[in-house]
Amino acid sequence: MEPLVEMKNIRKEFPGVVALEDVSFDVLPGEVHLLLGENGAGKSTLMKILSGIYTPTSGSICVHGCSYDKLSPKLSSQLGISIIYQELSVVNNLSIAENLFVGRLPVKKFLGILPVVDKRSYMKRADELARKVGLTKPVDTLVGDLSISEKQMVEIAKALAVDAKIVVMDEPTSSLTSEESNNLFGIIRKLRAAGIGVVYISHKMQELRAIGDRVTVLKDGNTVATKNMDEISSENEIISMMVGREVQKEFFSEKPVDYDTAEVIFRAEHITRKDKRSNDISFEVYRGEVLGFAGLVGAGRTELMTTIFSGQEYESGKIFLHGKELPIRSPYYSIKNGIALLTENRRESGVFPLHNIRENLVLVKRLLLSKAEGFIGLIHPKADQKVAEYQKNQMKIKCASLDQVITTLSGGNQQKVIVGKWMASDAKLIIFDEPTKGIDIGTKAEMYGIMRRLAEKGVGVIMISSELPELLGVCDRIVVLNEGKLKGVLNIRDASEELILKTATM
Amino acid sequence: MKTRQLSFKVIWGKLGTVIIFIGMLLIFSLFAPPTFLAWGNLKQIATQSSTTMLIACGEFFTILVSGIDLSVGSVVALSGMITAKLMVNLGMNVLSAFLIGSVFCGLLLGAINGILINVTNVHPFIITLGTQAVYRALTLILSDAQATFGFPGTFSKFFGGIWNGIPMSVCVALIVAVLMWFVTSQTTFGRNLYVIGGNRESAWYSGINVKHHVLAVHMISGLCAGICGAVLTARLGAAEPNGATGYETSAIAAAIIGGTSFFGGKGSIPGVIIGALILGLISNGLNMCSVPTFYQNLATGLLLIFAVALDTFISRRK
Repeated sequence: MEPLVEMKNIRKEFPGVVALEDVSFDVLPGEVHLLLGENGAGKSTLMKILSGIYTPTSGSICVHGCSYDKLSPKLSSQLGISIIYQELSVVNNLSIAENLFVGRLPVKKFLGILPVVDKRSYMKRADELARKVGLTKPVDTLVGDLSISEKQMVEIAKALAVDAKIVVMDEPTSSLTSEESNNLFGIIRKLRAAGIGVVYISHKMQELRAIGDRVTVLKDGNTVATKNMDEISSENEIISMMVGREVQKEFFSEKPVDYDTAEVIFRAEHITRKDKRSNDISFEVYRGEVLGFAGLVGAGRTELMTTIFSGQEYESGKIFLHGKELPIRSPYYSIKNGIALLTENRRESGVFPLHNIRENLVLVKRLLLSKAEGFIGLIHPKADQKVAEYQKNQMKIKCASLDQVITTLSGGNQQKVIVGKWMASDAKLIIFDEPTKGIDIGTKAEMYGIMRRLAEKGVGVIMISSELPELLGVCDRIVVLNEGKLKGVLNIRDASEELILKTATM
Repeated sequence: MKTRQLSFKVIWGKLGTVIIFIGMLLIFSLFAPPTFLAWGNLKQIATQSSTTMLIACGEFFTILVSGIDLSVGSVVALSGMITAKLMVNLGMNVLSAFLIGSVFCGLLLGAINGILINVTNVHPFIITLGTQAVYRALTLILSDAQATFGFPGTFSKFFGGIWNGIPMSVCVALIVAVLMWFVTSQTTFGRNLYVIGGNRESAWYSGINVKHHVLAVHMISGLCAGICGAVLTARLGAAEPNGATGYETSAIAAAIIGGTSFFGGKGSIPGVIIGALILGLISNGLNMCSVPTFYQNLATGLLLIFAVALDTFISRRK
């Protein structure tokens, strides 16, 4: 059978990183092709090349027998490629029908001259499409009033509306209940029966067999294997294809922490959020260790740390730093008491993009030195300069001058500035939420080094990461969360990627 | 070549407003009668700009944290009216009337804005658009839509008179401006405002209590408007219930022409003062050239667009 699309020897380089080394991937008509791999394996990059968002460095894409060096978003959709992203792209304040025909509403001539939208015709088409995907709500319902699974159906109907031949679904079940997932599988089977090629990206091992015909596993930008599902004997076989990587041990401390005698730096007891995205979670951080937090999307890691740091959504539980109970109240009080949080979104909630490096470095320290929560106090440019200079050297921030606006730095250096900001404020516990997200490999290693050094200096270090190899390479113990609950704490000596995944889904 | 362009950008960033100011001065000195540059006329420009300077100083704070205050004109009228009523109807002395009617009422009206914004989480534009109407209505109700006059001469002298050849309204505006300059550039509070305007979420994660700062900012805006109410009442010799209508537009224009970023985080008090002077310069200069009032608005509007567009153009250039 001739493939609908064939991507041959795709290579994609970003400045400083090779995202895809040499990947080949094809989709046959009427099949569900699973695309698997860990975070950073290159799945999204590959799909973004297919949708025309990225241009491959080399390689070719063959669609319906025509070969292309690259696609554009427009060309890609003209060729019948439709991608449904995890963050759905439906417009909430339009109706289902309008969403299906957004940008290409049918037009008729009113009184023979005036072009107006032909509502009757598109409502009728929309009704047909909605029925096809099993959407029971009237098509004039606002999409904002639909559930997530219904919104997903609208997305699929949208793909059908443009007569898509290839539908890519990026983790479609990540926010669905099991009943909704089964419903979705029914729709996918219908698509398959209609000769559409479906690319299905997922992390959930148990659904693969239910839906997949073939599977391709990516690892570090390379294809590990493409196999028919009936050749695969167990889920473990897939997991071992996805992982099975040499764990970098270089960031481990020389002498492992002796948990019987080590001092507890930080202890959290029964932390529960009002929205239950953290439910009765207790853990401690020992002197000298980096404590990792692992979990799938929606496990509630970021939510837990945000609550501890800021008191948002806080319902019950206690925290202790060096044995002293601290209030869970607001960022200011946490910072004053020595708890710091490096947020996941550096751009949105980490840096001050209009300000220079000095300002970014000294801000929190200045706040702590002034009175009345930062309201009363004077600026001391010389002291600021000294603090900034010291942190610049400590963190090895590469910059021409402290007067440089922070956004002129690379992502890794921006991250170092943020760490420097917290170090300047004498943090005793630093929570790193995805600290290596979006920074190049060299700086990643430096970040690991920084975390280890802080731990050795006696600062409590917590690291949240979605990249298991990095957790295994840096942490001493790993707390595994799933759906707001603590599933287990693994010592690094026993931990492996398989064990973490199993603990999380147990 | 590259370094020259870069340095031009840096100079423009620091002195762009001054360059526009000098440019306007040169243009008018060419076209307007020679009396334009006379000391008396320059003093006149400063006096005319003093009310704009005062409210623009406060407006600057709200724009700095990427908010806005549309109620300043109404706050000027209401606090001016209360100050006048305290003196005329209750026979209060000048200082007490000023402290209660202008300073305290200004702070209070600003605090109401700030509290409403914080509690409702509605954009300041909407809240202050609402309080603009409410405060104006209160002014009309309080005064029965009649002007209030007949207050002690010391009041007029102190806030609207001339002392040793210097207009008092300019003095008051400059004192407020220096104070506000100190707050914005030399205190942690001021630096926090720039940081909040730069990235509100980062500021919150860095331990800055954003809501308290927003409240404080609106109280400062109210305070400046309240003081402006006293100055305007003194200068006019009466508290007019419909006075200061549309002042918020001049305040915003002065701040923006003065280099304040509408999205927050950028700007300075000296820039705002020059911005206010530029507005005064245009209306005075066009008057001297006998251009009808309608055309003055045209010029002000075009200058606003031109100044901001030019600034954006220059700062975007690599």
